[in-house]
Amino acid sequence: MKKIVYLSSIVLVAVFGFTTIQTQDNCDKKAITTSCKKKLEPFKYDSQKFTKINFTKKAQDLEVEVPVFVGEKYRVVFNTSGLPKPIDINIYTKDKESKKREAVYTVKDVKPGGETEFVFDAPRLRKMFIDYSVPADSTASPTQKLSGCVAFMVGYK
Amino acid sequence: MLLNKKTLVRKGAMLIASSMLFISCGSETPKEEEVVATEDAVVVEESDEVSYNLPSPLQIASIFKKSGLKYKDGITSTQKDITKYTTKLSKAINLGVYSADLSYTVLNKQSQQAMNYMKLCRQLADNLGIGSVFDQGNLSARFEKNLSNEDSLAYIIAELQMVTDMYLDENEQQEITSIVFAGAWVESMYVGSKAYEKAKDKELNNKLSEQMTILKSIVNALKADVKRDASISTLVTDMEAIQAVYAELASVKAFNEEDANAEINLSDEEVVQLTKKIEEIRNKFING
Repeated sequence: MKKIVYLSSIVLVAVFGFTTIQTQDNCDKKAITTSCKKKLEPFKYDSQKFTKINFTKKAQDLEVEVPVFVGEKYRVVFNTSGLPKPIDINIYTKDKESKKREAVYTVKDVKPGGETEFVFDAPRLRKMFIDYSVPADSTASPTQKLSGCVAFMVGYK
Repeated sequence: MLLNKKTLVRKGAMLIASSMLFISCGSETPKEEEVVATEDAVVVEESDEVSYNLPSPLQIASIFKKSGLKYKDGITSTQKDITKYTTKLSKAINLGVYSADLSYTVLNKQSQQAMNYMKLCRQLADNLGIGSVFDQGNLSARFEKNLSNEDSLAYIIAELQMVTDMYLDENEQQEITSIVFAGAWVESMYVGSKAYEKAKDKELNNKLSEQMTILKSIVNALKADVKRDASISTLVTDMEAIQAVYAELASVKAFNEEDANAEINLSDEEVVQLTKKIEEIRNKFING
């Protein structure tokens, strides 16, 4: 009987291992960087940021603060090709604690398999607050979650 | 040692299961939606926290240049003995200092000086274990080959920044980016304020004032990185000391940050106060 239990566990662990243990996500940083750089032209590269996204049962709001210089011209290129499903992207004038903030750019309701690259030329700002609204995933469990990455690249003239 | 049957079955089960797991970990990642194992010990959950994206040393140098900053000989770091930088923190800070000097000399067509700073950057990057980025796309060789072309050099530095950012991200060493930028920012401020002492240019004054916005983000980014590397807390203290000087300036107190069109003009006395603190921190950095 114990032998059967052990053999069953071998099969279960093996199958489980093959189907769920994928520690690498779908984030090909080199390809994403190359793609963003093309869309950044003719702006000069300044910086870029990758944000790892885990889709959990709880919706998340992740914010990236980007200081800029007043009067300079900036372009921001987003790439969502490393995500298994769409998220909303907003750029605000103030942080998420502020009630007076306004959105200056929005990417919403992107269909799965739809566009994955978005270009934004910034108006006169002191800082940009890039917010990623990650929807809840009802299928997520403590041991299994969808994950991926979203990236943006900043360029200046 | 002989193993009994029960032990053999158990060990066999473990071995086969481990092998299967090992094989699956090394397999190709499918392009479509994938399910990821997320044992708490392996994957860190993203939280609803704020993170920071700091600009490059080249952009800071470019902003100052556009505001009228002229080249002044002898104000960049003359420290050439990098063996005195023995900690990761001092190496990364001074990589930032040299990066700022590299950008300043490139944008001002000081090619031989730029070449020297490029070599120092390479040596410190090697010491930090990130020197391989200089070999990507033959960046070092292309830099030497284009010494007489300012635009090409600036392009190569921007490319170097890009591959460095990607390398640090892939190797989960993003805290180095913040430390390097803090060093670069202090050096750029030092160069900018020293140039202002003579020129007293309004536009340059305005850019020196505007830097306090960036400083806030640097401090916040460094604070967020202290959990990765506790030694960063000393750098936070240094940067906060500069922040405290800004905060006490009358022109800054009267400034309305909410207004994107508002500008600050520091008095000469205020610039002197700021320069004094910047110089103190900068000397601390370059002396290791």
